[in-house]
Amino acid sequence: MADDLLTRYNYDAFTPDKFTPWMNFDQSPALGQAALDFPLWLLAGGETRLSALWSQHTYLVVEFGSFT
Amino acid sequence: MNALADRYAAHGVGSIFLYTHEAHPGENYPHLTSMTQKYAHAAALRDVLGVTRPILLDALDGACHRAYGSMPNMTWIFNQAGIPVYKSDWTDHHSVDNALAYFLDVAERRAQRAPARQRLAPFRVERLDYRNQDHAAFYEGLARNGPKAVEEFRAAFR
Repeated sequence: MADDLLTRYNYDAFTPDKFTPWMNFDQSPALGQAALDFPLWLLAGGETRLSALWSQHTYLVVEFGSFT
Repeated sequence: MNALADRYAAHGVGSIFLYTHEAHPGENYPHLTSMTQKYAHAAALRDVLGVTRPILLDALDGACHRAYGSMPNMTWIFNQAGIPVYKSDWTDHHSVDNALAYFLDVAERRAQRAPARQRLAPFRVERLDYRNQDHAAFYEGLARNGPKAVEEFRAAFR
């Protein structure tokens, strides 16, 4: 099941059947509520958490994206 | 977005780029199958695309990305208490600039001493922002990924 998730999330082709299941902005967390926290890995090396980043700044801007 | 990050850094605003998965996999940058590959693609964000903000990687299964709606190029802003105060399903630096200017003004109004200090209560607002569509640059990016990425995008919206 975990392998299936990895395969579906990291889809191998930009076809509607593969990318549209991930377009879930309308179901994303509401503003004003405590945010979900996750581990993240720095390209520069090391592991951190989203909470460790937002707690360091008055505001934290997070751009989600990829190379392609 | 890099310039925006630099401009607001002195105002207590942090900015990161969170690498997720390949939205338009192609021959040159195929879909991800390992964290080693994910690190290599993330390095290309810095070395090829010139991202100067700190680059972080999500888990290979996109746990963080999926929890926040898994759009290909969205932006969220969190306050220091871990409350999301802005979310957009696409990234546009004008929109983010506008939001940051507003939130920093809120912080300033809250920091004032009595009697100028204002009692502020949050409320929700929705609006449509507008972004420039640079088709030439977009297709140039797809071509960099490889012909497969170009063909699949054209086919998806034919």
